[in-house]
Amino acid sequence: MTHFELFNLAPTVDLDVKALEDLHRKLSLESHPDRLPAGAEARERRLAAERSAALNEAVKVLRDPVRRAFYVLELKGVKLDTEQAAAKVKMPMDFLEEIMERREALEAAKAARKLELAQAMAKEIREANGQSLRLAQDALRKDDVATATVALGRVRYYSRFLEEVDAFEEELLS
Amino acid sequence: MKGFLQIHDPLKPKGSVVGIDLGTTNSLVAAVINGKPTCLVADEGGSKLLPSVVHYAANGSVLVGKHAFQVLPEFPTDTIKSVKRFMGKSLGDLETKKLGAYKFVAGKGVVRFDVAGGQPVTPIEVSGEILRQLKRRAESHFAGKVEQAVITVPAYFDDAQRQATKDAGRLAGLEVLRLLNEPTAAALAYGLDKGVQGLYAVYDLGGGTFDISILELVDGVFQVKSVGGDSALGGDDFDRAIVQKLLDARGITEPTNSQIALLLQQARAAKERLTDVEQTELVFEGVPFPITRADFNAWVQPLLAKTGASVRRALKDAGVTANEVKGVVLVGGSTRVPVVRDYVAELFGQPALADIDPDEVVALGAAIQADLLTNEDRRDEVLLLDVIPLSLGLETMGGVAEKLIPRNSSIPIAQAQIFTTFQDGQTGMDIHVVQGERELVADNRSLARFRLSGIPPMAAGMGRVQVTFRVDADGILSVSAKEETTGVEQLITVKPTHGLTDEEIEQMLLDSIDHAEDDMQRRLLAEQQVEAERLLLDGAKQLFENGDLLSREERAQLEQGFLRLERMKKTETNYETLKAAITEVDGLARPFVEKIMDRAIGKAAVGQRVEDF
Repeated sequence: MTHFELFNLAPTVDLDVKALEDLHRKLSLESHPDRLPAGAEARERRLAAERSAALNEAVKVLRDPVRRAFYVLELKGVKLDTEQAAAKVKMPMDFLEEIMERREALEAAKAARKLELAQAMAKEIREANGQSLRLAQDALRKDDVATATVALGRVRYYSRFLEEVDAFEEELLS
Repeated sequence: MKGFLQIHDPLKPKGSVVGIDLGTTNSLVAAVINGKPTCLVADEGGSKLLPSVVHYAANGSVLVGKHAFQVLPEFPTDTIKSVKRFMGKSLGDLETKKLGAYKFVAGKGVVRFDVAGGQPVTPIEVSGEILRQLKRRAESHFAGKVEQAVITVPAYFDDAQRQATKDAGRLAGLEVLRLLNEPTAAALAYGLDKGVQGLYAVYDLGGGTFDISILELVDGVFQVKSVGGDSALGGDDFDRAIVQKLLDARGITEPTNSQIALLLQQARAAKERLTDVEQTELVFEGVPFPITRADFNAWVQPLLAKTGASVRRALKDAGVTANEVKGVVLVGGSTRVPVVRDYVAELFGQPALADIDPDEVVALGAAIQADLLTNEDRRDEVLLLDVIPLSLGLETMGGVAEKLIPRNSSIPIAQAQIFTTFQDGQTGMDIHVVQGERELVADNRSLARFRLSGIPPMAAGMGRVQVTFRVDADGILSVSAKEETTGVEQLITVKPTHGLTDEEIEQMLLDSIDHAEDDMQRRLLAEQQVEAERLLLDGAKQLFENGDLLSREERAQLEQGFLRLERMKKTETNYETLKAAITEVDGLARPFVEKIMDRAIGKAAVGQRVEDF
């Protein structure tokens, strides 16, 4: 069963997150092992736990627009979730060069412990990331898998960059 | 009548259920009584707080609570306090060495304290003693068995620490219905008592740990959105900040251990005074050291800023902002400090809620959850959906940790990932399970290593191993690995590295049951010996003072009875036989006692008359 099927939803990049979370709550109330009577059998408990776990996993993926887009792409046959899988996607050379330069600049900012500089870079990347995501969502709506794959390939690199800035921020604050 | 009903009530086959706050400094036990969560008396003198201190005496007896605390200065290495900080840790863990002057048994794996009175004990056994004491207290409150409990743990506890806590519960003879995160318990106490809805934050600053949780209560589901914190930041650090300032001011660079111990005690008292007064002082080596509240506030600012960073991260993880939070719940003794309250109010733009005693709120929440899980009438009231605090992952090539289940995932949860063989003819694969947020395995917590063997030899990349992580509702992990072409499978519950094996737990349980029998026999016999001694002393005294009331035969008969009891007191090992002998001699003495009473009344009557005239 796909994450969408669990909630009886058609696969789409466009989800009302609030409605999804309400549905998750409703289904959790129906299937969580804590709701079983005290005398329930072990098998029944295990099944409830499995269903609960599946619901939790599904809502985690579908709630987040980025992970949702990756998941829709996966349902269309392209997996980008691991390093190995992503390495098979051919990214444009100029993009790779650009991201490499940016990462070098980030490393320099980190070495100099310049948080504001890193945050300014993150702001630009976040915008580019948003654009790529919208492009990917658009392509997925039109079933254009090739365009979506490259666009989400970019999102992967951008996300990695943003995570690194976050980690740097945490390191400085703690 | 109550007992009779309980026996025949099929819904309550196991007696009363309780919620337990197993704290670093104090522990509490609570239960829902007549629909109301209530903390029970847990220690001597009617106190609800049981100091989390356990003393092991040379004669093999164990003291828990206030009595143990009292002998701590005399027996510092046989009296374990703050045992919670050792849970799930090994001697190799850096923090372990800083925690007091204990004698440890050298070795790998779980920490063992070398204490008086027999075998070395593990933190799990020490915690087990605290839990057993709470269980006993609850049983005497209900005059019946207590065999099921919800036990709270810091949200930030890792898998090893959770497993250790659950094992401690087992050792104490408790079925652990659920390990509940402390902030979640606190929120539950507020949520269900005060009927709140919406987004809440729980700010929990204890003696040694800081936890922050963001939760949402909507339509009967209590969902934890994110947790965060610092397992080495608490009120004790406030005390240290004061001590450091004093040492700096006096130019003392190398203080002795006893100087530090003395100063920490004074600093703590000064900190507590500053909650009510603007200025106080420490006296060190006869010279006063004045502190204003403003000084103190400034000194602890860096510590508060650390909690602020955790709060911001938790809000971000939850995908919410501070002004969406409808209420902030304070937990932990350190939240009594005014500057902490001010800081929290500023952080969230609103004063915090503190109308439930911050010491009791966690235990009360645990009692509510215990009731929800066992009371058929309340099953539909609320469902708790908690999260795991730290990411779980595996070691991959180059010592890099690959996360399988990210932090703040709702539990229960399961996640599988495929790994391929990387060498031709590879027949085994090492699986190293880690917990933490860092990139490199070395910087994270190592939970367990195991090896999946029996993969048929094939070309590199052809062998495919599916590793599945399952986290249950207690936040405890089990891992299974399966080779896809052959179906070779291995399942492990992650525990050996820092904990005890199931066999060790079983053995300890058996031992403790044996000992419990022995201990009880010994205690009952000792009680009867004391009783016999008292009777003999009384008898001798009365024979001396009032022996003239007896005839020679009467006197001889009584003296023989006393002699028999004297001998039995020394040799008899069955407390029931001794008790029977006491009753017999007591009966023999009754006519004598009556005569003595008569004489006393006569004397009193005579006295009265004398006074009248």
